[in-house]
Amino acid sequence: MSEEAKLSHTLVVSDLSAKQRMWGPRSTKNRESFFHDAAGPYASPSSLRTTSKTDTRSPSRQSNSGQRKPTTWLSFPLEFSFSTTMVGPTASLSNLSRADGSASFKCPTTGYKILGSVNAPVELPGRRDALKPEEATVEVFIKPGNTTAGVGERYAEGIIRTMLQKLILGRERGFPRRGVVITLAIVGGGAIARGDSYLTLLPSLLHTSLLALLSGAVPMSMTYSAALMAVSKSNVIVSNPTLVEAKAASSLHVLAFSSKGHLLLNESQGRFDFDTWKTVQQRAHALCRGVELPEVDGDIAMEAQGDSGTAEGFVRETVEDHLCRDYAWKINTE
Amino acid sequence: MSKEAPLSIAEREFILEALRQDSRLDGRTPDQFRPLKISFGDEYGHVNLELGNTSIIVRISAEVTKPRDERPFDGLFNINLELSAMGSPAWENGRPNDVESYVTHVLDSVIRHSNALDTESLCILKGVSCWSIRADVHVVAYDGNLTDAACIAVMTGLQHFRRPDAVVRDGQVVVYGVEERVPVALNITHKPLSVTFFAFNESKNIIVDATLKEEQASEGELVIGINNGGEMCFMNKFSGATINAREIVTRTSVALEKVKDLNAQIDRAMQADLALRAKRGMAEESRAENDR
Repeated sequence: MSEEAKLSHTLVVSDLSAKQRMWGPRSTKNRESFFHDAAGPYASPSSLRTTSKTDTRSPSRQSNSGQRKPTTWLSFPLEFSFSTTMVGPTASLSNLSRADGSASFKCPTTGYKILGSVNAPVELPGRRDALKPEEATVEVFIKPGNTTAGVGERYAEGIIRTMLQKLILGRERGFPRRGVVITLAIVGGGAIARGDSYLTLLPSLLHTSLLALLSGAVPMSMTYSAALMAVSKSNVIVSNPTLVEAKAASSLHVLAFSSKGHLLLNESQGRFDFDTWKTVQQRAHALCRGVELPEVDGDIAMEAQGDSGTAEGFVRETVEDHLCRDYAWKINTE
Repeated sequence: MSKEAPLSIAEREFILEALRQDSRLDGRTPDQFRPLKISFGDEYGHVNLELGNTSIIVRISAEVTKPRDERPFDGLFNINLELSAMGSPAWENGRPNDVESYVTHVLDSVIRHSNALDTESLCILKGVSCWSIRADVHVVAYDGNLTDAACIAVMTGLQHFRRPDAVVRDGQVVVYGVEERVPVALNITHKPLSVTFFAFNESKNIIVDATLKEEQASEGELVIGINNGGEMCFMNKFSGATINAREIVTRTSVALEKVKDLNAQIDRAMQADLALRAKRGMAEESRAENDR
């Protein structure tokens, strides 16, 4: 399967036209047109580049610089709100003894703490009929902290499963006819009440499963990062909203971007128009990957990445830290 | 159904022979528990417990519900244990297995049926509203002796948990938020814990707190639920080789000693945490600045 064909499979977009789906640029020409498309004439690639250069490494300062340079955003129909004090998420890898891979992740704004484990490749006996002969079966199980699992969990499981199924290289040696079992336990934070949106939890769940998969060394075609965005009743976009803000919001969006800049997941709830969504998407992209543009050929420029301000940089740094600790014996002797 | 990887014959023989010579794989004495580590989460009733490599998270929660018709004075209390693939690859998500029903049975008998939590104190208004307390046990890593570890974790959680204050005013139930009134501790009548003994070599060697490997090599087990005062609330010999009656009597006194020791450890961890919380709470109150 070619890279492009694979990509179109990896996109899980519910209600957007094909044009918006394939925004991953393939040529310079496309790139220009995308920015005109998405951000209007106000944000040319060069102006976005400059913002990214002035950005410092902490997320709070990044958002401040967004405010300080209003020329880029001023004529937008929407205004942005930034939380002034932003504590980054915390995560650790391989903290469980029995699972193949595990990770814990704490989101500071929503207060959720998730513990994730991955067992892969693992035999799933008694389910011969459900197993696929040519690739691995991905199973996601969400265990709420102090309630029994219900419809909300099944819904989120479905979203995560469909997304991960496309990313995990289930045809690798040893994986076909076996299972990749991802278990996510919500060990901190409040319970999601009946009728409340499950989207607030989704980015944490996605990040935990990614970190757990990485810790379990499950082969994947790309990594990703996700962001939760809320649009309040007064049309203010709140990135990383708290639970209170999310509850009051008129629409909630969860977007996930691959390490190559492609839109992997778009889940939205509530009323919003397309322009709003486009701005939300851009904001989310900046949060996840910084405003740096993806390279023409979809390659990752390693130096430009790893920015600690972005969600993707956070994942990278967590894994790097862990590797440094794991290989301390080797690094220190060299 | 998946199974734990069985012990090899050599491993089994090694464990049994070592026990014949009065030593265990990790160098403990027969009546010694693995090191117990108890820590607490941010909210009340959130306990992280580690007993050797067995690791458990317990979360206690409370909500107001209607009491059962046949018991209008009683609140509800449930212990919920669901094993997931996180604890052991042999457990399948969403499919109950033998271990799960066995541990749930022991927890129910030792804690719930012995009335460790006074359910009558959970009543708010007779026949109309009461508290429903729920203990969720998440087994995060399994390395033997799940019952005792879960028992300790649930009892710690119950002692640590604080429920919001509720009063009845003019026939109306008012539940105060945690900020409005100091939340109240649950009414714990006694502190029972279970101690599981495993028997080896025709019941000549009996040990406590077996690891997974020792459990797999064992012939039979004996569970004793006992509280600090030496009152037995549960005793069961589910299966396996016979254990001499005199052994059972001596093991009961061993269990009592262990339970006293464990309860002391729980108390120490609790006091340390509550002191820390009080300090933090005071700091919060006495602060001049407020977040804007």
